[in-house]
Amino acid sequence: MILTPKILARIVAICFVGVLLQLSFFSQVELFHVSPDVLPALVVCLGLLGGALTGAVSGFAIGFFVDCLLVEALGITSLVLLGVGYLAGLFRERFEIHSSVLPALLCMGFTLLAEIGFGVIQLLLGLDAPLSILVVRDLLLKSVYAFFLGWPLYLLIKRILRPALVEESTVRRGRQPTILGA
Amino acid sequence: MYRKQVRRRRAVLALLVVGSFVLLTLTYQGSHGLQSGVSTIFSPVQSVADRALKPARDLVDWFDKTFDARGENSRLKAELGKARRQAVAGQEALQENAQLRKLVELDRDPPLAYTNYKQVTGRVIARSPTVWRSSVTIDAGSGDGVSVDDPVISGDGLVGRIASVGPGSSQVMLLTDGESAVTAKVVPSGVQGVVKPEVGNPETLILDFISSTKPVHGGQAVVTAGWRARGLPPSHFPPGLPVGEVTKAPVFEQEARQQVDVRPYADLRNLDLVQVLTGGSRG
Repeated sequence: MILTPKILARIVAICFVGVLLQLSFFSQVELFHVSPDVLPALVVCLGLLGGALTGAVSGFAIGFFVDCLLVEALGITSLVLLGVGYLAGLFRERFEIHSSVLPALLCMGFTLLAEIGFGVIQLLLGLDAPLSILVVRDLLLKSVYAFFLGWPLYLLIKRILRPALVEESTVRRGRQPTILGA
Repeated sequence: MYRKQVRRRRAVLALLVVGSFVLLTLTYQGSHGLQSGVSTIFSPVQSVADRALKPARDLVDWFDKTFDARGENSRLKAELGKARRQAVAGQEALQENAQLRKLVELDRDPPLAYTNYKQVTGRVIARSPTVWRSSVTIDAGSGDGVSVDDPVISGDGLVGRIASVGPGSSQVMLLTDGESAVTAKVVPSGVQGVVKPEVGNPETLILDFISSTKPVHGGQAVVTAGWRARGLPPSHFPPGLPVGEVTKAPVFEQEARQQVDVRPYADLRNLDLVQVLTGGSRG
């Protein structure tokens, strides 16, 4: 990704709108008693499109912003989301994304990872309450929702950040065969 | 060139991880000025977003509730019949109570502590996105007289307490948060205990540490014990606030684990307007 001030502003706007939508909309609606969590999917999309560094930095920033708005202990959400963003970026750098389903599947997998990571940190910090088996339902349904939300989200963010993206196909098309003797 | 890039990337990653741990260490024990500042700046934006997105939320809720409505209908019909019987019994009890009060001149006593509380209405403008935390942000803050540990109620019953306060917004720790604990008693049996959550299950609370000598039955109401509960730590909540209703109360569980399941009266998953009880005396 080619980062220009304009593209940076777009990424900041995406993160800001994403956090607002999560806290004011997705967290307050429920389908089958579980609220969708769009933030890990958003960070995964940014990581897949912008690489490991973009993913990690946006994950940290989104986590920091969420914790500030919810007046929660800072650092927990940042740590989880920066890890998710970095791993998504690494995936993008090591493997090619051929299928259009792959980003959605990655959103699903990384959302599950983020939720588990979040739980592990909470347990390490000392969770003084029994765990319900319904936590498993919550984690699984959140991942399924991330699959369905991640699909349009990836396409939308790709469209917004298109000027900065270096498309593999464009690079390949740009290479002209060398004509010997010309 | 590539190595330099990789080195730079690793350095940034390490910096962010260390930064997260530093932030966690600095703010874990309590809220920081930075959080309140950011929350104050953005709470008007959140408030606008909350109002703008309400129709969309209502639409999704309508779909969700339609799925639930069928099972809910038969349960509510049964509950309605029971409530009618209880209402009739309650009317009789009220009459009797009024007569008895006159007899013992209870009405001349100082009013109950919780009539000293002022009610501040707040709208939920944000909600924690993860199952591991159970908190909401409301658009009422210290400017409205809200302070930390104030009880928060909805029309149905107790919701939680104020965990932190900013000038224009506050964070409410719900009853279902892992750190929440409320001293409570079962009425009419008077059995006392602590209402704690079961993380991940917003529909069930646990009344823990109850005495096994008095049996508790399903359907009995659970209310806050307040500071008057003997043998339990002082409470932030005034006595008598409705918390929920005992759902499952198997005798073996009461004897072995000294706990029963409680269904909260307040719909903690769909909060919109809540009231903060400010002021009042504390234990």
